[in-house]
Amino acid sequence: MQSKMKESDPILEVENLSASTDNLPILKGVSLTIYPGEIHAIMGRNGCGKSTLSKIVAGHPSYNITNGDIKFLGQNINSLEPEERAQSGIFLGFQYPIEIPGVSNLEFLRVSTNARRKFLNKEELDTFDFEELVKEKLEIVKMDHAFLSRSVNQGFSGGEKKRNEILQMALLEPKIAILDETDSGLDIDALRIVASGIKKISSAETGIILITHYQRLLDEIEPNYVHVMSDGQIIKTGGSDLALELEKKGYEWTDNFTQET
Amino acid sequence: MEIIEQIKTSKSIDNQTEIQKICLHKLQSSPLPNPKSELWRLSNKSKFLNFLDYSINEKDPKFDAPYPNTSKSNIRLIIGENCQINLIEKNYSIQHLSEDALVKYIKEQISCFDQNENWSDLLNLSLSCTKNILGLKISGSKIPPIEIFSHASSNALNAKTLVIFLEKNCDIDLLQVNLGKDNSSLSQSTFFCLEENSSVNHGVVSYGENKSNLLNSLNVIQQKNSEYNLGSLHFKFNYARFEISIKQSEGNAKTNIKGMQITKKDEQISTYTKIDFRGPNGFLDQINKSLADDKSHAIFEGSIIVPKIAQKTDASQLSRNLLLSNLAQIDTKPQLEIIADDVKCKHGATISQLNEEELFYMRTRGITLTEASKLQLSSYFQEIISFIPVSKDRWDLLDKLLNEN
Repeated sequence: MQSKMKESDPILEVENLSASTDNLPILKGVSLTIYPGEIHAIMGRNGCGKSTLSKIVAGHPSYNITNGDIKFLGQNINSLEPEERAQSGIFLGFQYPIEIPGVSNLEFLRVSTNARRKFLNKEELDTFDFEELVKEKLEIVKMDHAFLSRSVNQGFSGGEKKRNEILQMALLEPKIAILDETDSGLDIDALRIVASGIKKISSAETGIILITHYQRLLDEIEPNYVHVMSDGQIIKTGGSDLALELEKKGYEWTDNFTQET
Repeated sequence: MEIIEQIKTSKSIDNQTEIQKICLHKLQSSPLPNPKSELWRLSNKSKFLNFLDYSINEKDPKFDAPYPNTSKSNIRLIIGENCQINLIEKNYSIQHLSEDALVKYIKEQISCFDQNENWSDLLNLSLSCTKNILGLKISGSKIPPIEIFSHASSNALNAKTLVIFLEKNCDIDLLQVNLGKDNSSLSQSTFFCLEENSSVNHGVVSYGENKSNLLNSLNVIQQKNSEYNLGSLHFKFNYARFEISIKQSEGNAKTNIKGMQITKKDEQISTYTKIDFRGPNGFLDQINKSLADDKSHAIFEGSIIVPKIAQKTDASQLSRNLLLSNLAQIDTKPQLEIIADDVKCKHGATISQLNEEELFYMRTRGITLTEASKLQLSSYFQEIISFIPVSKDRWDLLDKLLNEN
């Protein structure tokens, strides 16, 4: 199955990426390639650089790329603005989705969706057409319509915020989704809803990176590859059994690994 | 002294009204505000002198209100133009105050004026001719929303005065719009008297054009069990001052204020509020927002006065400020003066910039930085705009704000 995937071109290539913030090196030569249809999991201790990697791929302005390249669909995107990356199909699901008081969730989703549709040369949706589309997508994450009239993420529970992230992913139809600890703060039922949503949205054309600490998300969504990060580097890559082994042995087991070549 | 000489030369002593004579007399001993006083120390002197630089104009050119389309059910009045109104309906009445009542009320107010604190009112009443003073007595309920316009003329100094009496149990929505013109100065003074159990949702929207100036003062007296809700917005003035004085004359009244000023280029806009509790069980909830960009300067100074008689007062004053440029300046000073010992009073101030993480979040959803900033500003504005009465106009106003240069 994996060789079949690799017949097509990669969606995302991270090549020997080093990055810093305030002159402090965070990533120290990360390489990662995602092909269509692949699901990758990235695991590692807190502070090892997992979230930073996701933010840098999404274009966070606080980080400087000091070496290496990020290629999306074959094009170098190092210098693209975050919105250009998003419009072209890179989605970042936040570990802590941001609350934006006073901005209605419905309008926020509509403006975002239209930005992506414009890039895809699809017709932009007016409020009425968008309502129809969003109603359909709400089903995927089992969210109530009432969430749309509230301010973005304001007053949402942890689980509701994560479902709202997956709703955005469903609307934006990205080529690659990086989901940063989407499972954190979710109870068992919410985790199943979120995981089932991710599975429904993903396809043979898309790639997914799951950043997680726990096996429980990977029980719901089986990854093709599991990467272990430590101190800004990927130190081990394996199949889904690597996550099971980590669960059993803890990160101490990885302490003696060095960066994979 | 120049402004006083100008007023004097603009009309003969015989043509001056009694009020003008009293105010001119008071102004003579204090021809300019004291620049060292708390109320005027931050005021830009050259901009203030520019305010006084224009020649006095009592006649208005034909006025085409550029303000968003009014609803047919609203009552629209323009001070200085044909303001004849005498509505006596089943549920309500709106009538002119008689000249005697108007003069009597204004004279009472003047007798309490402090020459420095009420300098803007003294100037206004020295300038305002009878035609430019609108006095209304309103009673009843289910009153259609009222819009009252004051406007300046280019290359001139205009003064407009509004006096409103709300009779017992009266309930209204009133939107006041002050419009500046190119190179103009507008002096606007408003006096509100709320009788027992009356309630008003009062909106004050002031916006200028190139090099327009505004001195806007608002004096409110609330009798017991009255409720005064003020939503205000000032923007696009070279120089503007909004001076609010509210007296809860017997306590047991409610005041809610949500105000905002937006400054750009090298503009200076300031808001001064003084809330005076003169009886027990008074309530105040106030939020003032400033947004300063470019090289502009926004000022807020608020004082809450709670004397011994005002036990059980519950007052809150918050100043929230957004600084959009490194060269812009915001001065804010909310303050409490409390003598009573059984009260609940709080105040606070914050100054921040646009939230970087909110912006990044929106940008990761494909929204451009410009659009994301607009969305964020729109959320900042909305709390205030939604408090301004006459809802139909709110969104046009928001649109105007967000699309201003």
